Amino acid sequence: MPKALKVSLLLLPGPGLVAVVLAMVLYRAFAQSFGLYNFGGDDLLTLAHWQELLGNRRFWSALRWSAYIATTSALLSVALAYPLALWLRRPFRGSLVLSALIKAPYFVPGLVAAFLLINVISYHGFVNEALVSLGIWDAPKRLQNDRQGYAVIGLQVWKQLPMAFLLLSGAVASIPDPVLHAARDLGAGTMARFRKVVLPLTAKAMQAALILIFIGAAGDFSFQSVAGPMRQNSMATLMVQLQGASFNDWNGAAVVAVALMVLSLAGALVLTALVQLASRLAARIS
Amino acid sequence: MATLSATDIAVTFDSFQALKGVSLSVEAGQFVTLLGPSGCGKTTLLNVIAGFQSPTRGRVEIAGKDVTQLSPERRDTAMCFQSYALFPHLNVAGNIAFGPRQKRHGRDAIAARVADLIRQLGLSGHAEKLPNALSGGQQQRVALARALAVAPGIVLFDEPLSNLDAKLRDQVRAEIRALQREIGFTALYVTHDQSEALALSDEVLLLNRGVIEQQGAPRDIYFNPRTRFAADFIGAANIHDGPLRGGRMRTPFGPLPAPGPDAEAATVCWRPEMAMTEGPLSGRVTAVAFQGGWTDVTVQEGGQSLRLQLPGQAKPDVGEVLTFGLDPRHVTRLEAA
Repeated sequence: MPKALKVSLLLLPGPGLVAVVLAMVLYRAFAQSFGLYNFGGDDLLTLAHWQELLGNRRFWSALRWSAYIATTSALLSVALAYPLALWLRRPFRGSLVLSALIKAPYFVPGLVAAFLLINVISYHGFVNEALVSLGIWDAPKRLQNDRQGYAVIGLQVWKQLPMAFLLLSGAVASIPDPVLHAARDLGAGTMARFRKVVLPLTAKAMQAALILIFIGAAGDFSFQSVAGPMRQNSMATLMVQLQGASFNDWNGAAVVAVALMVLSLAGALVLTALVQLASRLAARIS
Repeated sequence: MATLSATDIAVTFDSFQALKGVSLSVEAGQFVTLLGPSGCGKTTLLNVIAGFQSPTRGRVEIAGKDVTQLSPERRDTAMCFQSYALFPHLNVAGNIAFGPRQKRHGRDAIAARVADLIRQLGLSGHAEKLPNALSGGQQQRVALARALAVAPGIVLFDEPLSNLDAKLRDQVRAEIRALQREIGFTALYVTHDQSEALALSDEVLLLNRGVIEQQGAPRDIYFNPRTRFAADFIGAANIHDGPLRGGRMRTPFGPLPAPGPDAEAATVCWRPEMAMTEGPLSGRVTAVAFQGGWTDVTVQEGGQSLRLQLPGQAKPDVGEVLTFGLDPRHVTRLEAA
């Protein structure tokens, strides 16, 4: 038996199964977005569902919103994770505890986190009560479900920071001390060392963190539905709304699902290009 | 070229004293080596001078200016690291240009400097290569070129040849010395290899347990070691302890000519290559190892053993009694422990 065939057969039970399940889901979503597997009527291969959604302002608003939340969350998470990863690069007294604290949000389910945040920032929550009792505010203010999505972004960053930290801390720790010492010895200050040595050497990890966070945040449902603005849909909430909550529009929901996948792919490509451009530019600036 | 002066440098890590008040002075253009076994504090001292390690006490001056509190990037030094520490994402030219770019030299000046150093260090044809495409010797040359590119007052070397094989080590060692003479930089070189220290240096500082054990020109340190450690660490040495009277020390091999005043407990040493084939001393040969240019002979008597280096043609047999002698001028009195 040829070696390549043997290897493929051996891999089949693992990656093969994943590929089959993934292909099934993808095919189903694509097919449904073009009118097949129609639960609400006859199967009919058509562009009507796409035309309908692409002409719908709510769809574009949800797409823009998800792209905004995902991009901001990814950039903020990585921006916060970098200094933490550099700070905790070498162990010191208490660094293990700090490291564990940063990773702690990983163990809190997203919906629970959103619920806790609402408790803290609600009209009679801790923040309002504290600020009013300190005399900073005259009366409680409405903080939850803010229009700018700060609560959702805050939750995303809180939840995704551990992943960015894990990826970046591994990459940062793998830079040998003498390499950083050499840069310092040759006259590079803190920022120059970061731009010219740390950034290029950890670009792959940063790229991975950005993409994973972007994809996770773009498809977020729980943070958006609990802490997001009342009159703004994300792609995920729009999809659920179309499918079940109000319209039973499975084909419309499939169009949103495919669009969400396209958004994730486009986001990943744009972020990859941005990271490469940023590392080149950073290295050039003297 | 700059002068370097370190005064009363002490470094303590928790309860461990890595350096216990070390002072040194290097003249401009001198090649000085810090020599010592692992853990003696030589790399710590180098890091203090480079600014990577803050001293617990003491003062570092470069070109007469106190730099003790200055960060490494503000000191007029450049270091060649043991692991080369090349930037893996930059090619050879990029690595060499890194320092001048940081110092904001002009673009043309940087290009000219890089081209000069590439030519001087025999790296022509490798300018566009990444470090992982170079051999160990080439990487070491790039590291040296990178350090020299910023025209530092002092070049610091942290065991730069320890990752090279023996033949390449000899070659790069000679190149470093030739470059130092040609360009004329002040060099402080750390090594645990005594032959490297003797071959390269104008002056050797022998460190042991955080203090300077002895300091001097290579020949002086080699032929006139002051302490048992210095005699033993630098080259091979035969060391005898015992009473010394009338310029002689009684040993199982016979009366050994020994300098200095009489003493009940004295220590003397002599180098194996100083043994002469004729003389009043004798011992039974227990091992013979032909080394080409010389023959290593081990002789034993009264439970003690000595190492002799005889000319290559000498062919003593194991078991035979070998007579040998010593010129009193080649026997050194060591400080009492």
